[in-house]
Amino acid sequence: MKTFEEKWTAWLDGQLSDRELAQFEASLPDKAAAEAEKTEAKKLGAFLKRELGARALTNEEFFSHQLRERIARESAGESRKSGGRRIEVSTWWTIRRLLWTGTASLVVFLVLAIFVMRDKNPAEQSQYLTQILNARVDPVVSPNATISMFETKEDRVTVLWTEGLQSLPADYAAK
Amino acid sequence: MARSLLLSAAFALVLGTATELRGAEMVWSGLVIAENVAQPHPIPPELTGIERPLKRLFGYNQFQVIGQSRKALQTGQEDWLATSKFFGLHVDARGESQAGYVLNLKLYKEKELLLETDAKLSKRSPLLIKGPQVGGGQLLLVLVVQ
Repeated sequence: MKTFEEKWTAWLDGQLSDRELAQFEASLPDKAAAEAEKTEAKKLGAFLKRELGARALTNEEFFSHQLRERIARESAGESRKSGGRRIEVSTWWTIRRLLWTGTASLVVFLVLAIFVMRDKNPAEQSQYLTQILNARVDPVVSPNATISMFETKEDRVTVLWTEGLQSLPADYAAK
Repeated sequence: MARSLLLSAAFALVLGTATELRGAEMVWSGLVIAENVAQPHPIPPELTGIERPLKRLFGYNQFQVIGQSRKALQTGQEDWLATSKFFGLHVDARGESQAGYVLNLKLYKEKELLLETDAKLSKRSPLLIKGPQVGGGQLLLVLVVQ
């Protein structure tokens, strides 16, 4: 035997048989109020369905959000890769820059080389004569040796003149 | 573009090498026996540039190279040896200045150090050193930047 609440729920859902429906409606003290309540319940049901549907949609949105995030991540990865590609591309562009840099370096190098050569030339053409800074002989081997130095500007030679070094036999002139 | 780059690099290399070669100086070091003889031999080609001062300063009419060395100075820090049978001239370059190469020279008779000197060898001014008397002649040491 169904309780009133069970019958009420079945009535609201339209699941009572004709006999049960007639019996239930006859048992209602105020049928109009009950009908109004049934209408409200249907409205509520429709609202709930709508809300449940919306909830399902929220899930979809959640998943689509997840998907979008994943896509965004993958896109970021791809863009990073393509960024690398861009670097490669820019590397190719940098070769041009390298070429320009190389050319500029060459120009700088040439300028410096010319400077160096110009610096070297005065030294080569310089008026400097060879200078003897110091000289010494072994006092044991040549105790009476003397040393003098002079330059002849006419011939542009510098001479270290020794006297009294140990004399050697002619054999020492051998090649 | 890569070809241009390679060409530029090659050009730079060649230019650098050329400059390097241009920067190298050749120093000739010689052990010379000066003598007075009746029939003097012609002066060795290495000494032709200083024939007049050699003859005028030392008073000999023949000059023979008994040992020599030709060294290209790249850094000014090189050292080398010019040797004859009994003599050895060790030259130790100790840098380059505007006035020339700073050299330490040591003359050895076999293993015996006879003479040591430090000099700044100018590029246009030869260095002549009067060494010991050898027989009737004289040992001379000559250094020239060629």
